[in-house]
Amino acid sequence: MSRAGLGLAALALALAAPARGETPEVNYLLQCQGCHLPDGSGKSGAVPDLKDLGRFLAVPGGREYLVRVPGSAQSPLSDADLAALLNWMLRRFGPAAIADTLEPYTPEEITALRRPPLADVAATRARLLARLRAGD
Amino acid sequence: MARMDRWMTGFARSLARRTSRRSVLAGIGTALVGGAAVPLLPVARGRAEPAPGDRVTPSGEPDPTTPAGDPQDCGYWRYCAVDGFLSSCCGGSHNACPPGTQMSPITWLGTCRNPADGKEYVISYNDCCGKDVCGSCICRRHEGDKPVYYTPKSNDIDWCMGTREIIYNSTVAVVVGVAREKG
Repeated sequence: MSRAGLGLAALALALAAPARGETPEVNYLLQCQGCHLPDGSGKSGAVPDLKDLGRFLAVPGGREYLVRVPGSAQSPLSDADLAALLNWMLRRFGPAAIADTLEPYTPEEITALRRPPLADVAATRARLLARLRAGD
Repeated sequence: MARMDRWMTGFARSLARRTSRRSVLAGIGTALVGGAAVPLLPVARGRAEPAPGDRVTPSGEPDPTTPAGDPQDCGYWRYCAVDGFLSSCCGGSHNACPPGTQMSPITWLGTCRNPADGKEYVISYNDCCGKDVCGSCICRRHEGDKPVYYTPKSNDIDWCMGTREIIYNSTVAVVVGVAREKG
């Protein structure tokens, strides 16, 4: 088979492969909603409320935290799908003003951030929330 | 009273003189055939056709006119990853818990393909909690199920979380959306 023929065959295979990427809405249903619930309210004391998720972006380490938290980092989503989902969630759960200021996550940023494991999630979260309160 | 008796007797006798048994049978036959024909008139079809906006379909549920299958059968399309007892065999339905149990809000979700319309639906497997194990219609299917170390996608877990009681009774399969138009 000629090189062009091989190229065409590869292209045909790529086109034939089913696209696994879902929309951010469907990925929220499949990867988040089971615990965070359809409205993001979660379960007090066990599953964090996603309301005003974007407030984490206001403190150092917050942007990294949203990617490194196990629900994000250990999800079966690709870096591109996770970036799209986080951007969608930040707009969905607010605060409302975020739509103007949000610097969207890129797949490359996700690749870099999700790799190092987050050993103590609860302590990291508490530290970020304390910083947020101190800033208020 | 006597006058009514006389009138009734006279009516019955004149009826007997004027009508033969055959004509009565023929009359009944006409009524039967004619009666059966009534529902076939186009009026009935007109009613079966739902008007736009008339259709009551829960969010994301398939079009109710597609063949649905048997919700009491483990092979039913939306049970593709159920591991437990079917609520529909335990006094509830495929998307409602049996009386006396509470549906857990915390669930795991996956997709199942509905062969009737070829779409992949997002299914929420909610456990019904608070009463003893149902014990009817055990159903074990594992499409998309992951080992317990990948908790959010494991059907081996008692998902009675967020309910008053953690006792597991049975499971429902609620359609919460469409993942893909064609799988």
